[in-house]
Amino acid sequence: MKRPMLVNVRRRSSDETPPAIRTEQDEQALVERIQAGEKELFYALIQPHERRVYVAALAILQNEADAEEVAQDTFLKALTHLGQFRWQAKFSTWLIQIAVNEARMRKRKNHPEVMGPLEEHTEEEGYYTPREFADWREIPSEALERKEIRNALVQALSSLAQVYREVFVLRDVHEFSIAETAAALGISVGAVKTRLLRARLMLRDLLAPGLDGTWTSRLSFQKGNKPWT
Amino acid sequence: MDLSCEDVWREISNYIDNDLDPHQRAALGAHLGQCRNCAALLEGTRNVIRLYQDERLLALPAGFTKRLHRKLRAEIQGPPGSAFGWAVSLAAACVLGAVFLFANLHQFAQPELKSAHSQPAARWPAGPVAVSDDGKIFHVANCPFLHGKWKLVATREAIQKGYSPCVRCMREYLKVGRGPEAWEPGVEFAEEVESDGAQ
Repeated sequence: MKRPMLVNVRRRSSDETPPAIRTEQDEQALVERIQAGEKELFYALIQPHERRVYVAALAILQNEADAEEVAQDTFLKALTHLGQFRWQAKFSTWLIQIAVNEARMRKRKNHPEVMGPLEEHTEEEGYYTPREFADWREIPSEALERKEIRNALVQALSSLAQVYREVFVLRDVHEFSIAETAAALGISVGAVKTRLLRARLMLRDLLAPGLDGTWTSRLSFQKGNKPWT
Repeated sequence: MDLSCEDVWREISNYIDNDLDPHQRAALGAHLGQCRNCAALLEGTRNVIRLYQDERLLALPAGFTKRLHRKLRAEIQGPPGSAFGWAVSLAAACVLGAVFLFANLHQFAQPELKSAHSQPAARWPAGPVAVSDDGKIFHVANCPFLHGKWKLVATREAIQKGYSPCVRCMREYLKVGRGPEAWEPGVEFAEEVESDGAQ
């Protein structure tokens, strides 16, 4: 579903070259040419997806080096199996599915103790009760020029449980639809909605001390205070 | 329909995503217009989403694309000169093989016997054998059938030159024979070898 509130809010740094605007038809034509043997076009095909694959892996692994390796493996796998891609999903969804699977496998390999039934245990049975109701002024995008604000946002996201983090990243950072998010993560639409609600409200509570306009007080999550527990 | 704040909190995410039926959406809108806390919650949540959508956050590490392309290059282009390289390597291997085969052809071919009536050797004696310049047979040095001027040569050389084993002293090396148990080559003529000698 279209989300009018979130249109035109994305900004880029001035030294970044924006990817060429590409429709799904353009992408489909590119894929067909690569499948026909023009493999050099693969660089152009993946260029708009590099960040989202990396960030999806990072959301699961929380380690930049591991996330980069998983992203590389994802694109390599996509290239190898592109001949089998049949547009049952969007190319971006297919890529993210590969990235999520690769990242989960790596996490299982690196940390077998944290994977397993406990990972699926969530607090989805009860609703999350917000703690902060202070009025927020809109944070100007220029605020993100400040490193401490970027760090605060990254740390807040990192402090979420993986099941919330990955839903939030796909839905709100990458702007996947609810259905695409569910498909990429292999969970139900209902689970996506429930986790998304909790992720958004938890992040809001975590960031409230800064987003109320001060950004001066020490953020609550930096003290190990998790408002949802 | 009056909604409680808890009702709004449960649906705030769907409200942001515009994923409510019009009736529900209108009810939430009415509550949000009156409740300062819920309105703050809505704006704060939208603000959070907006911030996380900025691409300066969670940016790619420096050099990411370069490293990615380096990793993909081998798969996209194949190993350097792969198709041509494989063809050249294969052709070179064929040429080398042919040269080797030609150079060593005489080793694999059956030598032409000096006498059409002789039998070729089934196996070779270990030591040197005696041949005469005008003969067609190789012998042990003291074979009574060895006549004239003779010399010792390696067995391989004798066979390659077309000499065949003597039916008397080399019987055991013939294809058809009575076997080594019937006769031990060289034993009965040992004394003659010492007295005669190679020239």
